[in-house]
Amino acid sequence: MTPFGWGRGRRRRATEEEAPPGPLRDYLSASPPDPRTPLAQVRLLALDFETTTLEAATGSPLSAGWVPVDGTAVRLGGAGSVGFLAPAAGVGDSAVFHGITDDAASLGVDERVAVERILAALAGRVLLAHHASIETSFLAAACRRIWGVAPEFACVDTLEIEHRLATRGGSEPVPGSLRLGASRERYGLPAYGAHEALTDALACAELYVAQVSVLGAASPLKSVLS
Amino acid sequence: MNAELTAVRDFLGSHPPYDALEPAALSALLATMSTVYVRRGTEVIGLGAANDTAYVIRAGAVEIRDTADGLVERAEEGTTFGVSSVRARAGSNYRIVAIEDSLLLTIPGDAFRTLLARPEVGRFFDLQSSARLRAAVLATRVSDSRHAIFGVTVRDMLGREPVTTSPTTPIREVAQVMARHGVSAILVIQAGRLVGIVTDRDLRRRVVAEGVGVERPVVEIMTADPISVDPDSPAFSVLLEMTSRGVHHLPVTDPDGKPLGLVSAGDLLRLGQSSPVQLAADIARQQTIDGVVTVASGLPRLVEQLVTSDVSADDIGRATSAVADAAIRRIVTLAELGLGPAPAPYCVVAMGSLGRLEAGLGADQDTAILVDDSGDAADAWYGQLAAALTDAMERIGFPRCPGDAMATNPRWRQTVAGWRQTFRAWMDEPEPTALMEAQIFFDMRPITGDVSLYATLSADILAIAPRSARFLAHLAASALSRTPPLGFFRNLVLDRDGAHRHTLDLKHGGIAAVVQLSRLYCLTKGLAPHNTQARITAARNAGVIGQESAENLSDAYEFICYQRVRHQARQIREGLVPDSHVDPDELSDLDKKHLRDAFGVVKTMQNALSVTYQIGFL
Repeated sequence: MTPFGWGRGRRRRATEEEAPPGPLRDYLSASPPDPRTPLAQVRLLALDFETTTLEAATGSPLSAGWVPVDGTAVRLGGAGSVGFLAPAAGVGDSAVFHGITDDAASLGVDERVAVERILAALAGRVLLAHHASIETSFLAAACRRIWGVAPEFACVDTLEIEHRLATRGGSEPVPGSLRLGASRERYGLPAYGAHEALTDALACAELYVAQVSVLGAASPLKSVLS
Repeated sequence: MNAELTAVRDFLGSHPPYDALEPAALSALLATMSTVYVRRGTEVIGLGAANDTAYVIRAGAVEIRDTADGLVERAEEGTTFGVSSVRARAGSNYRIVAIEDSLLLTIPGDAFRTLLARPEVGRFFDLQSSARLRAAVLATRVSDSRHAIFGVTVRDMLGREPVTTSPTTPIREVAQVMARHGVSAILVIQAGRLVGIVTDRDLRRRVVAEGVGVERPVVEIMTADPISVDPDSPAFSVLLEMTSRGVHHLPVTDPDGKPLGLVSAGDLLRLGQSSPVQLAADIARQQTIDGVVTVASGLPRLVEQLVTSDVSADDIGRATSAVADAAIRRIVTLAELGLGPAPAPYCVVAMGSLGRLEAGLGADQDTAILVDDSGDAADAWYGQLAAALTDAMERIGFPRCPGDAMATNPRWRQTVAGWRQTFRAWMDEPEPTALMEAQIFFDMRPITGDVSLYATLSADILAIAPRSARFLAHLAASALSRTPPLGFFRNLVLDRDGAHRHTLDLKHGGIAAVVQLSRLYCLTKGLAPHNTQARITAARNAGVIGQESAENLSDAYEFICYQRVRHQARQIREGLVPDSHVDPDELSDLDKKHLRDAFGVVKTMQNALSVTYQIGFL
């Protein structure tokens, strides 16, 4: 089995050479965290996308929200969010879930500007999300549309961690019990209104620090990397 | 970064003192903050540890313990902790441990100190505990329609314009006016001011029975210069006043003496189905001592009703005292009938809680007799009266005083001159153990008989007390020896872990401590009030204690007394003998927290006293 750091590192360096100067190259050039780093010292960025569909191939991002996590502390001051310009196809029925209508989305910025902001916040940090494949696939698809290349994002998935913690006893978790809200409830975390990118990012970040309190802050990063 | 973390912002914005911040200040604060998660049992701040972070509990709970590991507070969502160490830039005086898995918002020391520099924020944290207590006291004073009398003033009861006449009107004409208006009392007015009152009873007793001519002017048979009440007096106290004076009507006048109307006992009684006044009135009608005992034993049931109606502890104490007063008056009157006329004028007085109008159920009876200097206090007549009184009161449910501070004890039946000497000895040559039992005598209040006997004695005591430095110092030492049971709250924590149980004594370091403090405050200035709440107010007005201290002490006393009376009502329901020892299981977490605050106030006032009197605090 290929060691995590080496495998990912090689692929990332490969795309860094292809990347044009700017936020993408800056993100790629920031040294990836050593997988042996204790969780207490890992820097992450909880990221959440609201999107038109769940498939990166067919959907577009509508908005993104993020909150940095330094070790075991969620840095509220570093929170950020960005709205994307309305996709050509319109927001469609997804507005039912995230409340972003075509009018609201028209207040957003160009996809390139939005992604550059996200990458700037992500530089030097591990991507953190609940069901992280949505965020990584949409972010990678956007990078490919803009620059023709996409990095492989080092990421930590609170859903995966929760699944692992839930199956420690050997039984499969009840369907739905691993959703963000249901997972938070098990840690006594407060209920938030769902489907607003920044709030969801904060919710994910809080869930992560709660999970770290169970895993132990001395555990290495590699024990939670996806 | 202009992203709005609405979830956190809304949370902070709904909890004081952050709710008072303008939006820009709240945003600036949020930008400095972080969130951490701690597992149950985690020590967030160690005792003596350097701490430069203030925490706001977002979810969960922590326990705050002092240097002696006493539980100071169990803090929940929305509470800020770490304040004192951040403010003082010193090691923490508290140890703070999460008792639930908790999500905590953190504010760096510099940002929090900037916040504390805002007067409203600094003040919030200064007052946090006293404000909590005050809120708790107010919450106990919710009035209830079944005892509406407690929230009603005399003004609320005034109906139509008073029926009036002039002093020169013939008696016959006055009687006709009364008949036409269907009233049983009429006010006599001269130059717009109240000068007298005439009632049906006056017409019977002073006109018909004595054969006074009905053409005579009414001024000859009216009750001149009647007692009148202020329209803003509580209906409850007016009713007690009427009962104690044996009158059924009281004129209501504004401060200039202009008559506004008339209230009758009937008006007031209709407000409450089973008011203490009704009970007092029933007692006053009894023709035998056995009858008084039977009727007065309805007192515990009444107190229980008052407690479930959320009447304040102070009002319940007054109501209980009013009933006890009525019983003493009636017993003495009936005993006199059996014994024959007294050899010399005398006055029956109460001391202790009844003297302070704070009698509780099962309170010891503390009574004494003052005899006019023309008489002999050793006369057997007074001893027999005392024996009859003490026996009947015991049957009603007021146990004999274990310290024998009762009129049955020959030491406590003296002439006024004898009493003066006794008090002077206490004040001039104070002796700690004697003073211990003598303190309650400084709560002396006349109940029945010749009240003027007490007035001369009281004036003497109040004149001498402020000059008796050693006496006051002994009282101070005694007040300081009443240690509030703050350690109890540490034991609560042990109990939770299954260790042995303790009960909380509300009397020793709580009620008794405040009683002694307030008595001392008033004696230092020769102030007359007997009642503890009245003493606190008088001490504040005289500048003995500050406004804020007075409010805190008043709230603390009310809260502790309320907990006791509620506890006693529960004991009565369960057929137990009422006491002051509360099992922690009876108390909600909130009650415990407020009690801790209340005892904290008592301790603060004791500390201040120890500075004043240079007494080492235990």
